[in-house]
Amino acid sequence: MSEIAHQDHTEKKAFLVNSSSLKDVRSFCREVFQKLKIHEDLKEELVLAIAEAAQNIVKHAFKNNADANELMVVQISCENNKLQIAFYDRGTPVDPNKVKHREIDNVKPGGLGTFFIQEIMDAVEFRDGKKPWINHLVLTKQL
Amino acid sequence: MSYKIEEKGNSRIVHLTGEVDMDVADKARQSILPLIEAGHEVHLNLSKVEYMDSSGISVLIESKKLSEQKNTKFELVEISKPVEKVLAMARKFL
Repeated sequence: MSEIAHQDHTEKKAFLVNSSSLKDVRSFCREVFQKLKIHEDLKEELVLAIAEAAQNIVKHAFKNNADANELMVVQISCENNKLQIAFYDRGTPVDPNKVKHREIDNVKPGGLGTFFIQEIMDAVEFRDGKKPWINHLVLTKQL
Repeated sequence: MSYKIEEKGNSRIVHLTGEVDMDVADKARQSILPLIEAGHEVHLNLSKVEYMDSSGISVLIESKKLSEQKNTKFELVEISKPVEKVLAMARKFL
């Protein structure tokens, strides 16, 4: 746990659901974490976890219904030194029971992103998406 | 992301620069796999890679597996700090 008291702060931004937005998602996160004065090492870990979650939206939630105008929203909130990152999208509903990383002895590409998210964050939770959203993923981390 | 390929006998040194994510993973893949497919030893220099996500790691895994199939060599040379951190995390799982 960090000994620094991070100021309470919330920011959100919408991105087009496509792989070229991932760079913008990372830039947005870095800017917000800079304002929150999060340590460089932790900052890059958090950026990776968020980018992997955004990548999962592009890859899975919109796998069969890519639409150039679809948006996903990333919201970063810090309250009482607890960081919460929320994702909203209108893709295929995610079944939380099917979201898991692959088995440890199955050495092949894929599934690592979910593993990274679970390694870096304290909690990963799918909540009910309130209209107009379908999926609402929340990642949390105590700073 | 950009790349440069150096030739040394049967070896090819591939230098990747920038950020390797899902958006450019295919470009990275296409810079490496055909060289392995052609039977070259590939040395991948990652010293100028500032960011790599699971898609980039997947390219490394695919390259390693193909090199085993083709009985040639694929190795990482000079790894930047950000990539080293991601690889350390991935190794817990691989």
